[in-house]
Amino acid sequence: MTALDPTAEGARRPPAVERAQRPPAEVRYADELAALAANDSDPRPPGWRLSLRAARRFILGDQAAGIRRKFVGDPSLIDRALVALATSRGLMLVGEPGTAKSLLSELLAAAVSGDSTLTIQGGAATTEDQIRYSWNYALLVADGPSPRALVPAPLLRGMAEGRVVRFEEITRCPLEVQDCLLSPLSDRVLAISELPGADAMVFAREGFNVIATANTRDRGVNEMSAALKRRFNFETVFPIPDLGTELELVEAEAGELLRRSGVAAPPRRDLLEVLVTTFRELRTGITERGDAMERLSAVMSTAEAVSVAHAVGLRGWFLRGEPGDAADLVACLAGTAAKDDAEDLARLRRYLEQQVSRRSGAQWRAVHDARHLLPG
Amino acid sequence: MSTVEAPGGVTFLGVRHHSPACARLVAATVARLRPAYVLVEGPADLNGRMDELLGDHELPIAVFTAHRDGTRRHASWSPFCAYSPEWVALTAGRQVGAQLRFIDLPAWHPALSGRANRYADADQRYAEAVRRLCATLAVDNVDALWDHLFEIGPDDGLAERLDTYFDVLRGESAAGEDDTAREAYMARWVRAARRRAAGRPVLVVTGGFHRPALVRLTAGDDGADDDWPEVPAPAPDAVAGSYLVPYSFRRLDAFVGYQSGMPSPAYYQRVWEDGPRRAAEALTEAVAARLRTRRQHVSTADLIAARSMAGGLARLRGHAHPGRVDVLDGLVSALVTDALDQPLPWATRGTLAPGAHPVVVEMVAALSGDRVGRLHPDTPLPPLVHDVDAELARHRIDPHEAVELDLTVAGDLTRSRLLHRLRLLDVPGHVRERGPRVGADALLTERWSPAPSADRLARVIEAGGYGPTVLDAVTARIEERVTLLGADVDALATTLFDTALAGLPEHSTRTLTAIARATGSVTDLRALGRALAVALALWRHDRLLGSAGTAPLGALITAAVRRALWLVEGVRATAAPADPGRLTALVAVRDAVRHAGPALGLDRDGALAVAGRVAADPAAPPDLRGAALGLAWSLGDVPDAARAVRAVAAPDTLGDWLSGLFALAREEVVSGDAALLTVVDELLAAMGAYDFLVALPALRQAFGWFPPRERAEVARHVQALHGGDAPPSDLLRLDADPLLVAAARAVEERVDAVLTREGLWEGDRT
Repeated sequence: MTALDPTAEGARRPPAVERAQRPPAEVRYADELAALAANDSDPRPPGWRLSLRAARRFILGDQAAGIRRKFVGDPSLIDRALVALATSRGLMLVGEPGTAKSLLSELLAAAVSGDSTLTIQGGAATTEDQIRYSWNYALLVADGPSPRALVPAPLLRGMAEGRVVRFEEITRCPLEVQDCLLSPLSDRVLAISELPGADAMVFAREGFNVIATANTRDRGVNEMSAALKRRFNFETVFPIPDLGTELELVEAEAGELLRRSGVAAPPRRDLLEVLVTTFRELRTGITERGDAMERLSAVMSTAEAVSVAHAVGLRGWFLRGEPGDAADLVACLAGTAAKDDAEDLARLRRYLEQQVSRRSGAQWRAVHDARHLLPG
Repeated sequence: MSTVEAPGGVTFLGVRHHSPACARLVAATVARLRPAYVLVEGPADLNGRMDELLGDHELPIAVFTAHRDGTRRHASWSPFCAYSPEWVALTAGRQVGAQLRFIDLPAWHPALSGRANRYADADQRYAEAVRRLCATLAVDNVDALWDHLFEIGPDDGLAERLDTYFDVLRGESAAGEDDTAREAYMARWVRAARRRAAGRPVLVVTGGFHRPALVRLTAGDDGADDDWPEVPAPAPDAVAGSYLVPYSFRRLDAFVGYQSGMPSPAYYQRVWEDGPRRAAEALTEAVAARLRTRRQHVSTADLIAARSMAGGLARLRGHAHPGRVDVLDGLVSALVTDALDQPLPWATRGTLAPGAHPVVVEMVAALSGDRVGRLHPDTPLPPLVHDVDAELARHRIDPHEAVELDLTVAGDLTRSRLLHRLRLLDVPGHVRERGPRVGADALLTERWSPAPSADRLARVIEAGGYGPTVLDAVTARIEERVTLLGADVDALATTLFDTALAGLPEHSTRTLTAIARATGSVTDLRALGRALAVALALWRHDRLLGSAGTAPLGALITAAVRRALWLVEGVRATAAPADPGRLTALVAVRDAVRHAGPALGLDRDGALAVAGRVAADPAAPPDLRGAALGLAWSLGDVPDAARAVRAVAAPDTLGDWLSGLFALAREEVVSGDAALLTVVDELLAAMGAYDFLVALPALRQAFGWFPPRERAEVARHVQALHGGDAPPSDLLRLDADPLLVAAARAVEERVDAVLTREGLWEGDRT
């Protein structure tokens, strides 16, 4: 074993976290986690802070116990994810961007380990050092390889401390780098070949597992090696299936963002309905009537809808001192939905010209009338 | 036993149709009570045919009911499988010597007019209550909820749990008019049975939704209902018939939306036969076997992982052993190592869309099973068999002789329609050799030659599944075909023509919506154009087949025009060659707006707006831009064509653009002062030899849209520009062999090139 102290690193939390813009889930929901742990009589898998059922209640909510619902989706998805984490395979969350994969991974880590901060952010420049361990070179040069000179990265810490490690956007890493997860996942051991003796092998403690996320728009999971794929259970996270739930979520989130931005007027619900319907139709490529059309290549996620609703509210309030209107919506759609893609802009224009004109309702008509605000 | 036993020994069992747990409960209750009467929710008009129904059939079977009157056509099924509580009530009741009665209204009754499946779930009536229950118990949907509460739990206290469940749901929702009528009728049967039983036990098996109401309605004894209630008879002018049909698990599983019941018949059959534990194992085995025969890789390690996932999920969800969803979730977790394109069908209660993951496809197939029922040989034949013979005799069609028909004669027309209806039902007998076809010139005669077949009778019986008469059957067949075809507009257009040939102008609103809906999702502009052309031709001209001006066609034309305009604006490709298919589609749009626009209220301004945008869109293909300009022109919105043509005058786009324009607006181009031709002539004259060769093929195609007369008109105009005096027809004819001319041109060009190289000549050959 290494000389790593399993309690020292994980339990220490800098006080700055409390005042952070967005504290991690285990801080935001500390009271809920504590209440759940206190009343948790179900068996816990070894190394877990909560039982599976308590973890499920933490994520899906439990009105009777005053636990908020934090994730909107099929309950069976959470069941499968939790059971997968309790088995010997890792959990891979895949899906379109903006489907709350990262939030789900954070919540799972907080529920299972009480700590969601052992996070590796995948990217083209991610190296094995950032995943496993690196060295304090001053000590390394002075004393040679020793546990003291070792700088553990999230994977090593997760294994040594028995915690869940989050690997965000794993498919954006080079394939060779992804594959360094192979033996930690299958043999549950990490070799530190530079260290002599017993320190050369770090065996994973109970409670260690990996939650990876990957989005289907970038390099999908197709390029992952079969060997690594086999060590994960795949869960696809889908956009919110029904309009009512998504509308509620957008209304609540956008309202909160606007309040924090100092906007006194809440967003108009009828306009939000137009916004969410538009997003859903452009995302799925199917209108409410059932007509097929082209999907936008830009990401039309719920998160994007929230940010458009936020922008619409800001425009209306700070430019005119009123809630955002249809003209603001069209103006914001161009920037958020179409970005700088000419094809998407053309699709959006066609949608506003031909689909929106057939809807009844004052806001739909207003959006249609404001269609000339699209640039180009 | 806590299930409510009303005064007089009546026991009410509220069940979910096709639930093995409920079937077990029914069997146990019958064995315990040994009732004098077993009353079952089912068509009361079948009470006289109980022996036929309970004959020695192989399940699943169904009672098929078709009904038709002046205003309404309705077909519905009451399916029974081995684990249907209704079926178990009847068979177990008969074993203990009970009197058996169906107590619900007949399937053709208006109170059931909205239902194709009598034993569908009633859950849309209490969707909100179910949603809350699902949220509380953290399950995905009503099927998972049902399994969780009833199917995989222990049987102790099942009756109480069922009663509480349905009481909660019923308490939340008001029954509609139709349910109230059915419940009042069922209550009369219960009261009559109670009086006749005179203290002996009576068992009532109905859908759980109806149970609370029946308990309430039969609480008092008004003493009036001594006789069995009379069974409603269809109106004198209506045709209604019920008969047994062999059914299949696939059809049982195929009801969707509001008509669906318990899913996954193969799985529940195993639950019924062997219990939930064995059913879960069998499901895993079936999926693995299916995947391996499809050459999908399923390793032992995967199966172990699936098994341990399913076990873990069952423990998490508090199940004693894995249930349906536990097994499915376990399998999908272990076997799928990709991102899924669509949500899991058992999580959303949806059907599989094309492109579903192969593992999921096989899982759904394994759940559904392929068992097919079979009727006892003595079962009375469906009436269609007799109807086909009678119709053939009435129309004096001899199965052994060829039939020559003149469609303008009334008698021959009805004979033709009968033959077409039989053709659409796949009943062998006659094959058509010639007659009217899609897209061909109108032919007013038909010839059918005899084609005897050994399995004709079997095929007629099968067709009998569609309805008791030729007309009912062919209507049902067409509706099914329309559903199966989905968005295949080409085939839908053929079907449309078939309905005209078969004389089904009033084919129902459902078919109409289906076609219009399919039109809404077509992505192929060419196919849509062909369909629109067929529909428009039928709508405008078809007095012979009686489809001219009918409303369904009108609606289809409206939908197709709207869709075509939507698609046109989405085509992008700056340098694609002209595509006659999509130009024809625009021609169909023009004709529709021009000839049917006023009558159908087509959006002429909308069409002009689309045309204007496409014509001005530099990212649209040149042929469509030309066609869009032509569309606007031909609809009376005269554009500045001379200016527009200059914008596309590049050699590789000019011809394609003109193709589009000429396809739509050739009459407008040659009429009047033909200013456009002047500009084109000028542009061509300015082209170099190489550019002209580049432009030539497309130009040739473009001018191909003009018929000879108009081509002469063009020639006359060009001649006037250049001041020649030969008759215009001379310009259109070339005396020499085109190959010779081409060879001569090539020689000339070589000479020019040599001369230029040597500095001997630097002029232009004019």
